[in-house]
Amino acid sequence: MFGIYLTGPFGQSPALYQARNEAKRGRGTEEVVSRQILADTEKVLALQQGANFDYIIDPSFSQYYLFQPFSEQVEGVSVGPQENWFNNNVFYWRPQIQGPLSLQMGFTEKYLQLNHFPHTISLAVLPSPYTLLLLSDVWGYADKKAAITNLAELLAAEAQHLVTKGIRRIQYDEPALVVKQSLGSLREEDLSLLRRAMDIGGRIPGASTCLHTYFGDAGPLLPYLSALPVDGLGIDGTETSLNDILKQTYENKEIALGLVDARNTSLENPEELAGQVRNVMEKTHPQKIWLTPNTGTEYRGFTPAVQKAAILGKVKRILKTEGPDYA
Amino acid sequence: MLKLFPTYEVGSLPKFNARVQAAKSQPVSWEEVEELRHYAQCFSVPCDAVVDLLERQKREQRPLTTEEKSMLTDFNSLFNLRLQEQLGLDFVYDGEARRTEMYHHVVRQVNGFEQTPEMIRSRGPDSWRMGICVAPPSLKEGSLPELVTREYDFVTRHASRALKVPLDDPYMIAVMSDNRYYSALLKATYAAHPRQLRYEAKQAFTLALAENVIRPQVQALAERGAPWIQLDVPAATLDLEHLPIMVAGINAVVERFENVKFSLHICYPRRISLMEKKGYELLFPHILDLHPAVNHFSLELANADQYEQDLAVFKQYQDERKFEIGVGVVDITQEQQVRGQMETPDIVRQRILRAAEVLGDPRLVFVAPDCGLRQLQLERCIRLYETIVAGAELARKG
Repeated sequence: MFGIYLTGPFGQSPALYQARNEAKRGRGTEEVVSRQILADTEKVLALQQGANFDYIIDPSFSQYYLFQPFSEQVEGVSVGPQENWFNNNVFYWRPQIQGPLSLQMGFTEKYLQLNHFPHTISLAVLPSPYTLLLLSDVWGYADKKAAITNLAELLAAEAQHLVTKGIRRIQYDEPALVVKQSLGSLREEDLSLLRRAMDIGGRIPGASTCLHTYFGDAGPLLPYLSALPVDGLGIDGTETSLNDILKQTYENKEIALGLVDARNTSLENPEELAGQVRNVMEKTHPQKIWLTPNTGTEYRGFTPAVQKAAILGKVKRILKTEGPDYA
Repeated sequence: MLKLFPTYEVGSLPKFNARVQAAKSQPVSWEEVEELRHYAQCFSVPCDAVVDLLERQKREQRPLTTEEKSMLTDFNSLFNLRLQEQLGLDFVYDGEARRTEMYHHVVRQVNGFEQTPEMIRSRGPDSWRMGICVAPPSLKEGSLPELVTREYDFVTRHASRALKVPLDDPYMIAVMSDNRYYSALLKATYAAHPRQLRYEAKQAFTLALAENVIRPQVQALAERGAPWIQLDVPAATLDLEHLPIMVAGINAVVERFENVKFSLHICYPRRISLMEKKGYELLFPHILDLHPAVNHFSLELANADQYEQDLAVFKQYQDERKFEIGVGVVDITQEQQVRGQMETPDIVRQRILRAAEVLGDPRLVFVAPDCGLRQLQLERCIRLYETIVAGAELARKG
């Protein structure tokens, strides 16, 4: 089976920029920003539905960075100093975690438009516990294992809560692991921490799950990642060589191929992408194969994001004609 | 000889709302005109002609002519200069009054660039318009006055203190741009190695920017006798595997200029790096290869307030290279402004002395804000400069 979906925040529209800028400078209001967020969300949801995306994602216009719901809504966590979001001219604020955290559910709801668009949004993104742990300042745990256990339990509970709100796929964003791999600083301990986290939250009843890696080369880690107790694996195809992806099989795993580069305005050739998908499908036998952008399409603005989404739709139309494997 | 702990500004100051609105042919409120008049009087900058112009434009509701816009820009530039001088900074410039913002100001003067259709979000609601490199970059003909020489000539005519000129560095422009041209050019060569493609494409892009975009600006400034040029490379540690490209880009800009002091401004290093090294440690050993003319770093330090950890690496490598440090002593983030918090002169004094102790030589310590102040309210900028100057004075006493 083949399908398409978006994997993160969508590019900002000129109207939303204008509203945010006016509010920031005291010339507009947050109410205007909220109205624009709803209008743009509706537009992006319709865009995904119109192109027959298999999962529909909230474009995250209410959220500035991955950890924001966690930092702002979870008791025991506060917002720390700003940092670059990996190698992007985009910032996040380091979560300050005073653990152990009690289980709290619903902390992402304020940032998702689930109530405004019922029965529409089907994919929710949460930070992978491992990336969250590594990019936070953490106190109050006996060791890293205790910390990641607590974070994984908290995030799994949130994932389960989101299922009750209609979410059918949980994507855990996991850039830190592959970036560490690329930098040569990955250790056995890192692998066992992520394994621990996925043992706890890798399977969510009522939803499929995907550990989505990006910004780094997943190639050398593919045997390890394929063995994790999680339904799907997202691979950044702009960092990971296709040859490495083809080196093994994924019979019991879904593969989300991030071959559409969300950080470059060059437009991929849909025929070429379809060929790459075919190649991976035929040689690696994944349970399901998805074509996605490597990461959220927020990094080049609204129009390029629309263009990248359209490419996914074109590939789907091309492959749809090729029989039941691509239905 | 310089006094101990000389003070300087890093770059930008906010523009007067009245000026921005008028230049865009949008209504200017009475309060905005009064704000301009108030601050001009505070720093003895003549403003009658500017106020008269703004009031006339309000009555007549017409777009400003080029000459009128120029009058407003000159006023803002002179105001920023007088503000810094009167508040006691030792090295001054014009608060980048003629620049839209650091990146776009340069990119719009470069052949080979297109603009993304929309503003891209960067930090909270802050956004920027990204350039897309679609051909080898080169400066547009006749762009030097707009870029740097007009502002420099104006400042030299009016300044009574020493100058430090901020310029973009090529690596920052490369990092903030969409590198479509060089990625496509090299794609076939590195098709099977996507990470190497990104490295090679960025290196080619950075060096082209260094040679064809930044170096001509430095050349023009050097010919005019600019004593000190600060290259802004806030993104130095953004891509940890690409630090050699940053160094190569800087060296391509600065080599063969005599009698010009060069410094680099770096802020928000990766204090969580996912490596054993973090923060400014990440710059080493790469920056040991910088051209000898680069002997000074202006660093963001106050936001993190971990001077000992952040600066220790500069001490550690002093046998190989000894750099002066422009110590960021005040946090310039909007969060601090929203919280209404600000350092006191005594906190600044302590930070200066902490830095001096770590570096082991007080003569290496200069005093500055963490970064440019463009995003802040003018009143807060004034208080920050006062605090810096007062704190440095306290530190000189020990």
